[in-house]
Amino acid sequence: MEPIIQLKDVTKEFYGVPALRNVNFDLMPGEVHSLLGENGAGKSTLTKIMAGVYEPSKGSVMLRGEPMSFGKPADALDKGIAMVFQETSLVPSLTVAQNIYLGNEKFFNRLRGIYIAAQQFLQSLNFGVDPTMYVSQLGAAQKQMVEIARAVHHKAKVIIFDEPTATLTPEEKHHFFALVNRLKREGVSIVFISHALEEALAISDRITILRDGQHVITDDAKNFDRDKIIAAMVGRSLSAELYSRDMSRKARPYGHKVLSVQNLSMGKMVRNTSFSVYAGQITGIFGLIGSGRTETAKIISGVVKRDFFHGGEVKFEGKAVRYRVPRPAVKDGIVYVTEDRKIEGFFETKSIAENIYMNLLSSDLNRGIIVSRSEMMDLAKQWTQRLNVKAIDADARVIELSGGNQQKVVIAKALVQKPKLVIFDEPTRGVDVGAIAELHQVINELADAGLAVVVISSYLPEILNLADRILVSRQGRVVEEFSTEDATEAKIMYAAVH
Amino acid sequence: MRLQVVARHLNQEKIVFLLTVALVIAFAALLPNFLDRGNLLSLVRSVAVLGVLGLGMLIVVLGRGIDLSLVAIMAISVAWSMQLIHQGLPVYAALALGLVFAVGIAFFTGILVAYAEIPPLFATLAMSTFVYGFGRAHLITGTDVVYMPQNMGWIVGLGQGKLIGIPMPIVIAALAAFVIFLFLRFTKLGSYVYAIGDNLAASRISGISVRPMLVLQYVLAGVIAFVAGVLTATSVEAMNTRIVNSNMIYDVILVVVLGGVGLSGGRGNVRNVIVGTLLIGVLMNGMTIMDIQYTVQNVIKSLILLLAIVIDSVVNPRDEQTGQQGDI
Repeated sequence: MEPIIQLKDVTKEFYGVPALRNVNFDLMPGEVHSLLGENGAGKSTLTKIMAGVYEPSKGSVMLRGEPMSFGKPADALDKGIAMVFQETSLVPSLTVAQNIYLGNEKFFNRLRGIYIAAQQFLQSLNFGVDPTMYVSQLGAAQKQMVEIARAVHHKAKVIIFDEPTATLTPEEKHHFFALVNRLKREGVSIVFISHALEEALAISDRITILRDGQHVITDDAKNFDRDKIIAAMVGRSLSAELYSRDMSRKARPYGHKVLSVQNLSMGKMVRNTSFSVYAGQITGIFGLIGSGRTETAKIISGVVKRDFFHGGEVKFEGKAVRYRVPRPAVKDGIVYVTEDRKIEGFFETKSIAENIYMNLLSSDLNRGIIVSRSEMMDLAKQWTQRLNVKAIDADARVIELSGGNQQKVVIAKALVQKPKLVIFDEPTRGVDVGAIAELHQVINELADAGLAVVVISSYLPEILNLADRILVSRQGRVVEEFSTEDATEAKIMYAAVH
Repeated sequence: MRLQVVARHLNQEKIVFLLTVALVIAFAALLPNFLDRGNLLSLVRSVAVLGVLGLGMLIVVLGRGIDLSLVAIMAISVAWSMQLIHQGLPVYAALALGLVFAVGIAFFTGILVAYAEIPPLFATLAMSTFVYGFGRAHLITGTDVVYMPQNMGWIVGLGQGKLIGIPMPIVIAALAAFVIFLFLRFTKLGSYVYAIGDNLAASRISGISVRPMLVLQYVLAGVIAFVAGVLTATSVEAMNTRIVNSNMIYDVILVVVLGGVGLSGGRGNVRNVIVGTLLIGVLMNGMTIMDIQYTVQNVIKSLILLLAIVIDSVVNPRDEQTGQQGDI
């Protein structure tokens, strides 16, 4: 059978820095082909070459045996190649239905007509999205669904999914995989990029692994297992330390009570939740999307305000607090490491050093009014070494780093403020396997040093590995607590979904 | 490859600077008196006030705002001061009241933007109209033009004096540029201005008091507008309040944007404003010597702005997908 897309010896350079080196890749009709690798391995670059976003510097791209050269992504779309981007590319000010039909409108574009058609279409995909909603009102998962629906609607022959399941709930993931199987039966070829290896193993026909811009291996999925994939991705076997649970691990003892939350409420997102956090240990909070865990963390750290009436009580170090802005929380020693680093994590026009130094300035640790470049560079050197940030130098801009290194900078920004309580919200989202191990190490060291640490995660192995006690959040409140000894994936999931 | 490397080091600031140099060379070759010391000084002097206002605009724009009320604040606060002197108030008291007026208005604008969360474009546009209307109705009685009182003493020197042969407006503008440079580059609050313009949400989480900082930006801009007003009034011995209805505020935005300060915030510095101001100064001076009509001058000015922006977007594409290395 002839491959639908074939890349031969493709090299792509950015300003002389190679992102891909002599990579071969082919995609058969009607197959699901997973593309795996650490962040910075070249997955996104490779898919963007297929989707016509980039031109390769060297090598050839063949479409059904003919050389292809796309000037712009729209050309690729015309030839039946659609890409579902990590960052959503929907128009926020249009409705769901208008987005799905964007570029395919009839001359007389009757809104009622497309709403009815879109409703039927979304139902056929099992996506519970209202077609008359504006995209700006949707949550991340629903946007992802609309994005997928649009690609399917355009009758694409090749669909490239870049981390499609990161924001979906288990239920929605189930529908998504059913959809992928249906598309496959209809002869659509699918390229699937994911950090969730189990998903890739379950759904793929073939798997290709990239490392440092080079092709490592392509083989049938049935010849892989998790350990083999991880070994190929990182060039060493991380599996033991990262994904399998160390049953001999002892939970850290309880220190003094640092934070106590009583009947905390905020609108519909946080309802009457109560829990405590202790020094010298890691408190894990597990919850699905929409369970109010991020909102709870943001109330504690002053990013959002709790209800004025019947909002409950937050006590930090024995003192009742009600922060209206994050500044007093930072002064008291509470820092929040955001789940969305691009939106609220770092300053993109600033260098690594400036980013880290800015948080020292904004804490009360630096009382001066004059900034000092030498102090900034010393600080940057100290923290990039401690957290092993890989960059050319501390003057590199954060936006140019890989996801893992960006996350390390965001964590360094939080830690320079010498907090007593650190809240990590999804600390390893969009971070490569190698960096995950390093970030976990950093988080463990903080708890060992006596800080109170909260880790919010929707990834069970992460919670099970890190936390000394596990709180499960559901529909805006903490519903159950497990000690690390009794916790199992099944018990936690049961508490989270019921 | 070589070309790419060269292109990467070109930015709007450098392009505008090269354009200025090219214009100077062209005018020097074409116009016999262009390079005279007297002409060069009058060239810089003619844009000194514009440059000072540009510095105020710079601070606000760096924080992802814009201030359309600068010219109104400048005109009304200084005109009112001089009117008070005419009415018999002591000079310093009158000027202090004018400054308090400028700061008060700017403070209120800052409150509107930071606490009432009104977009700066609307807040400052409304304030501009309010200041002009209120000033003309209640503060400045009589004509549009308030002439400079004769008893202003040394303050007249700010507009008409010279320091080692250099007209004082140029010296004051240079001094203001230096002070703002120090503020933005070396102080904590200056760093906050950049941080807020870059990412407001991240600044907030970092523990920066975002709202007071926004108010401070507008207050600083108001102070600078008052200084610019004193320079104007003492140079021409009058303050014509009709200047509010001219397109001067667009010229202020022009020199800021032309120099390469990003309107999206966080990008730019004092150097950008100086470069932008010099280009406008050279252009206007050359065209005036060549006796080009005022309306034609405006056309040329706007074409130059478009040219600079087009060249910049060609050598530094903004498209995230193609222009940045980013997440490979």
